[in-house]
Amino acid sequence: MKRLATLTATLAVLAAAPAFAQQAKIKIGNLIDYTGATSSTGKFSGPGKVDAIAWINKNGGINGKLIDAEIVDYGYQTQRSIQLYKKWKDEGAVAILGYGTNDTEAMVGFVADDKMPYFSFSFSGHLTDPTGISAKAKEGKIKPAPYNFFGQVSYSDGARALVLWAAEDWKKKGGQGKPKYIHMGDNHPYPLAPKEAGENLAKESGFDVLPSIQYALAGGDFKAQCLALQASGANYAFLGNTTGANVALIRSCTTVGVNVQFMANIWGIDEAGTKAIGKGANGVVSVLAQPMWGSNVPGMAKFREISAMSDTTGKAFRPIPYAVGACQVLHLAEGLRLADKAGKLNGPGIKEALETLKDFVPTGFDGMCTPVTWSPTDHRSVDTVNIGRASVTGETEQGEVGDLVAAGTIKLEKIAEQKVPRKPEWQGY
Amino acid sequence: MNTTLLVQLLVNGVIVGALYGVVAMCFVLIYKASQVVNFAQGEFVLIGAWACWWLVATLKLPFWLSFPVCLVFMALLGVLVQVIVLRPLIGEPVISIVMVTIGLSIFFQALLKWMFGVFVQPFPQVFETQTVQILGLNVESAYLMSLAISLVIMAGFAYFFKYSRMGLAMRATAFDQQAAQSMGVSVKQVFAISWAISSVVSALAGVVVGLVSGVSASVANVGVKVFPAVIVGGLESIIGGVLGGLIIGLLEGLAQFVDSEYLHVGNLITIAPFYAMLIILLIKPYGLFGTKTIERV
Amino acid sequence: MAGSMRPAGDYRTTYASDRTIFPTSGSFYAVCLGIALLCTGPFFLSSYSLALLIQIGIYGIGALGLNILVGFTGQISLGHAAFFGFGAFTSAYLSSKFAVPVALSIPLAGIVTGLLGVIVGLPAARLKGLYLAIATLASQFVLQDFFSRAQWFTGGAAGASAEPYRLFGLSLSGDQKYLYVVLFHVVVMYVFAANLMRTRDGRAMVAVRDHYLSAEIMGVNLTYYRILAFGISSLYAGVAGALMAHYTSFVSSEAFDLLLSVNFLAMVIIGGLGSVMGSLMGTVFIMVLPEVMQAAVRNIQGLGFAQSSAFTEGLAYLKEMAIGLAIVLFLIFEPDGLAARWRKIRAYWKLYPFSY
Repeated sequence: MKRLATLTATLAVLAAAPAFAQQAKIKIGNLIDYTGATSSTGKFSGPGKVDAIAWINKNGGINGKLIDAEIVDYGYQTQRSIQLYKKWKDEGAVAILGYGTNDTEAMVGFVADDKMPYFSFSFSGHLTDPTGISAKAKEGKIKPAPYNFFGQVSYSDGARALVLWAAEDWKKKGGQGKPKYIHMGDNHPYPLAPKEAGENLAKESGFDVLPSIQYALAGGDFKAQCLALQASGANYAFLGNTTGANVALIRSCTTVGVNVQFMANIWGIDEAGTKAIGKGANGVVSVLAQPMWGSNVPGMAKFREISAMSDTTGKAFRPIPYAVGACQVLHLAEGLRLADKAGKLNGPGIKEALETLKDFVPTGFDGMCTPVTWSPTDHRSVDTVNIGRASVTGETEQGEVGDLVAAGTIKLEKIAEQKVPRKPEWQGY
Repeated sequence: MNTTLLVQLLVNGVIVGALYGVVAMCFVLIYKASQVVNFAQGEFVLIGAWACWWLVATLKLPFWLSFPVCLVFMALLGVLVQVIVLRPLIGEPVISIVMVTIGLSIFFQALLKWMFGVFVQPFPQVFETQTVQILGLNVESAYLMSLAISLVIMAGFAYFFKYSRMGLAMRATAFDQQAAQSMGVSVKQVFAISWAISSVVSALAGVVVGLVSGVSASVANVGVKVFPAVIVGGLESIIGGVLGGLIIGLLEGLAQFVDSEYLHVGNLITIAPFYAMLIILLIKPYGLFGTKTIERV
Repeated sequence: MAGSMRPAGDYRTTYASDRTIFPTSGSFYAVCLGIALLCTGPFFLSSYSLALLIQIGIYGIGALGLNILVGFTGQISLGHAAFFGFGAFTSAYLSSKFAVPVALSIPLAGIVTGLLGVIVGLPAARLKGLYLAIATLASQFVLQDFFSRAQWFTGGAAGASAEPYRLFGLSLSGDQKYLYVVLFHVVVMYVFAANLMRTRDGRAMVAVRDHYLSAEIMGVNLTYYRILAFGISSLYAGVAGALMAHYTSFVSSEAFDLLLSVNFLAMVIIGGLGSVMGSLMGTVFIMVLPEVMQAAVRNIQGLGFAQSSAFTEGLAYLKEMAIGLAIVLFLIFEPDGLAARWRKIRAYWKLYPFSY
């Protein structure tokens, strides 16, 4: 028995030995959907996260410590994301780079209990109230989410920005009477999240708000919905669904010949979607999370460095979700750096560090990553929304997305910058 | 009342419903011949769409050449799936067969995403004019192609089942498997052929959906629409399946009309067919056109 | 209870011995020991293992409910996830809006879901086979639509929050403590199911499955038992859903889709239709399979020859395909499920070395 104990101890020392020799590491959980329902976003945002982490590690890591964040596909299944979260917690993760609506919502309680900062690609407004001071929380409609973070405009503020833009656009065009606003989307938490915010502000801004029209997130033929949209006489239609469904909807509506200004939310349209829609995408307005790949902004040079981590040729095309993924990592990295400096490299320390950031842009990424501000009472990180407009100037059926973008056939141009002030009454939804 | 909207929605309902009908036909064909409930029907539509898309968009073959090649491939695939996966399960309870086809659909979904990516891909247009106007409604020409081809297929089926040796054998098998086998019909062959036909017709539906809204994993969702269609039409008849599809298409149009003009409940268009299905099943447990099977002990 | 080992032949002479839950005292002690071992789990297991056990327990209860319906009564259901979700929302609603103690709201949620199951089961009583499968599919979609529609009940887009489990002022949240809550419910629900199968009602259900015409001739009320099976099955789903709600303390309507229903079906079929323990085995299989696949993927990555994200992605698809393939292969090569395989293994060792 004694021999066995000695043997085990020796083995344990041997196993642990390489760990001492290596550089210190910071464990981070890293979730992605490559195979499930939302894989069209995950396919690009995943590599964005991976490359950004590799880039940080190559450039000195976090004060000399390397980020250890193996990316894991969970197929958009809640039970698997819970398992992964628990595993990372056991392995001593100090923060999680989360993913979509379902894992984020399933984890709100866990991360609050475990004091684990959780970055997500789910930008629901109800995750922006860390202390429960918002009117919604006081009504008991939402719970405070102290450890949830995202460095993008929330779904609701995206809808608000589009409504404000639409109000100006209506004036500019010299429209007569009251413009009509309509919310479109599936009966599903993601498209429903910004519904109330958009409709309330539309009413205040002098729109006629029409009853919403539903179209499935899963896609399909939406000519019936387009006919109803046409008959409703709406001027501005907010599209709450993700790219895939919006492609189908806009294609159907082009066939029917609907004359309406479509406004898509943050995950609502990207380069691949624009390619799939073709000419019908012309003029569709959307919340632009990041400038397009190859845009003339100061941060692009650094971004090419990140992209080069997995593409030495420098030719790969990186669509918008890639940049969203990379910026999310850079935001967390800043939190880690500050927390590490303060000697508090743990959940509460990182949260504290993040909440000191004010109009923060990762060094060298100006124009690529949106300036973010977190405060202990308000997690609405972004208050300036870029509005983009799609333009398609030629045939898009043939060729790769990257080539079409490089040739200028497909463009998502920034046309306006809309300020969405952090009004207290808008927090939490 | 907004009559133009109603008429347009109904016309659209017929057009879209015809497509549901085609897919329902594939479903019924397999069920009738081999008593297999194919929950991977949507995936067969999707495979067809991707296969044809690949030939046209990547290999850049002309449509007249790639379409038949794609159909041949689908026929082979159908036979293969039947022989490898479903033949060993003959005689197992319905639930196992339901599950195995669900397993197949999980497998194919992942495989296709891996092979063709996760983005919507536009299908290169194969018609000179993309849209045609019917009663004031713009309709994609692809739908008319599907309508025409499915009419041809149905006529072909009518002839095939009535006069050809194989067709008779298939009908006999559907009616009584054991008796057919004892009369010298090769049941194995019949099963394989029914899968081949079904996947070929699925591919046709896939191309149409692809032409209309682009090719992506969501093409497979047409498989879900099949269920209300076959319940309405009854599982026993191929014509019933087509009729069921048409009725569901019309119902969707009507639901959208009532919803957007009067009720404003939202989402009636997707949910109404399922409510209709539940009500129909409450009143007629074997579907609207289905016949009650008499069971002797 | 008979001796610790069972003789090679079938020597049962009384109905009572035919009805025992545990065929030998050995199996009884084995189960007790297993439960006792699980009770000590929180003292040495990592929270990953605990979470896995908790999820297996919760989905195991749901799967058992489905097995009562599918395996014992021969009805098909493709809408089990919707009932699971309904239970989750009901318990969250009761505990947060009416301050019902969670210990009470979980069984209450089960009962309410059971009643809903009876209502949905009404048309099902007349349906068979495929028609029933499709009708339950419809109820899945209808309920899912209801979840995102009924703001007052589910919180709509923001979701509903569920109170933590408290007993006598003692908080039982967190993996360590919640395991006991789940374990308690698992034991109660499994013992209930095992006992149900020994009663007149249980045997009537099996009769309905095996040959409903004969059952009817024997005086079994088909409608009554089909609806009862639906009710009990939904009750199980409701309890499981409620346990899930208080585990994550948050309920979002997104989680209860058709995919989860399919997962439940896979658990039941892989475990073995009509076997109480099989439900648990199937749940273990379905829950552990992705974990094993993930570990395999990790090991392949660990070989170090490829770290690119394209490679990770490819492995992710392979993993999904393997899950689909596992279900297909299982049905082809082991159609009676893990429970039957377990019986065969036991029989082999019982006769060792003279088995044939």
